[in-house]
Amino acid sequence: MIASASSIDRIHLIGVVFSVLILLTVFLMVRARVMKEKYGLVWFFIGGFILVMSLERELMDTFAGLIGVEYAPSAFFAMLIACAYLLLLNMSVSISHLKSQNKALAQELGLTRLRVEELEQRISRLER
Amino acid sequence: MRKGRILIVIPAFNEQQNIMQVIRDAQDSIPNGDVLVINDCSVDNTSLRARQAGDVRVVDLPCNLGIGGAVQTGFKYAREQGYHCMVQVDGDGQHIPAEIDKLMQTMEQSDCDMVIGSRFLDVDSFRTSWARRMGIKVFYYLFRMLIGMRVTDSTSGFRLYNRRSIELLARYYPDDYPEPDAIIMLKKHGLRICEVGVAMRAREHGASSITPIKSPYYMAKVMLSIFFSYTRTRW
Repeated sequence: MIASASSIDRIHLIGVVFSVLILLTVFLMVRARVMKEKYGLVWFFIGGFILVMSLERELMDTFAGLIGVEYAPSAFFAMLIACAYLLLLNMSVSISHLKSQNKALAQELGLTRLRVEELEQRISRLER
Repeated sequence: MRKGRILIVIPAFNEQQNIMQVIRDAQDSIPNGDVLVINDCSVDNTSLRARQAGDVRVVDLPCNLGIGGAVQTGFKYAREQGYHCMVQVDGDGQHIPAEIDKLMQTMEQSDCDMVIGSRFLDVDSFRTSWARRMGIKVFYYLFRMLIGMRVTDSTSGFRLYNRRSIELLARYYPDDYPEPDAIIMLKKHGLRICEVGVAMRAREHGASSITPIKSPYYMAKVMLSIFFSYTRTRW
């Protein structure tokens, strides 16, 4: 099973490179305040998870065996997809939250504009 | 506290051709009411036309919030300014302000917290599309099942609210297609709802936002949000 072993090695190497890239990018983004720490944390978790799985080959094999997948890289991809789902879920929640905040702000702004307008009219009447 | 006890909220999105007439009709029908137009970020001259009608307050929303967000702005205003009642009259001219009186009488007689103007009760109104009638039928049975109430026109936005419902809906009001959902919410909070037959007009200009293609999407979305409102115990 030399071919399969080498393919596992390769995918593990890709996993390591990929996760280090993720961790580094996220680190730089959070540092530059492009990304909030809150979201950075989720990414760090996922990046770290991939890194550990890629470094510890046995862990990967055990995990694959646990979920009944014979071909370990498939289990790895399945996990990646699961992580992506989690992230998307996280994003949907954040977007919903932002949307309701945005709505409240827009309403408040509209109402405040009306108040300013009315106050301006009253002031100009008083000045006349 | 403003001069009138009743606030007439007119949500409008690109209704430059209808808005002036709707405002004038509203002012004629309820002389002691205040008119508040919520311009939901129209791209035409809705705001200008509304202001030209005179003695009207116009809220220009900075971005398009949809009917739910626009009407909720009205609830918030009514709550802040201490109005006892609020009536919603759509900016497209379908609702006839002269019928507000019927809503008010019904509220006084029945002691309800919200009165819905129904186009299917007693009065002969124009016929809506079969798709909409079918949708309303589905809601009718759904409401009978869920809250044990017979609502003949759950999608009607022509409604009168008292202080209790204003305070509740200022806090939370559904975003898109909020009318059926709001019924469940009010019921869940122990508020009383009733219906009265009113006449309605077919719209004169422009087209309805719910096209036949969008109908199934509308139904699915509303039913989902009704379901969530029903399962929700608090917010």
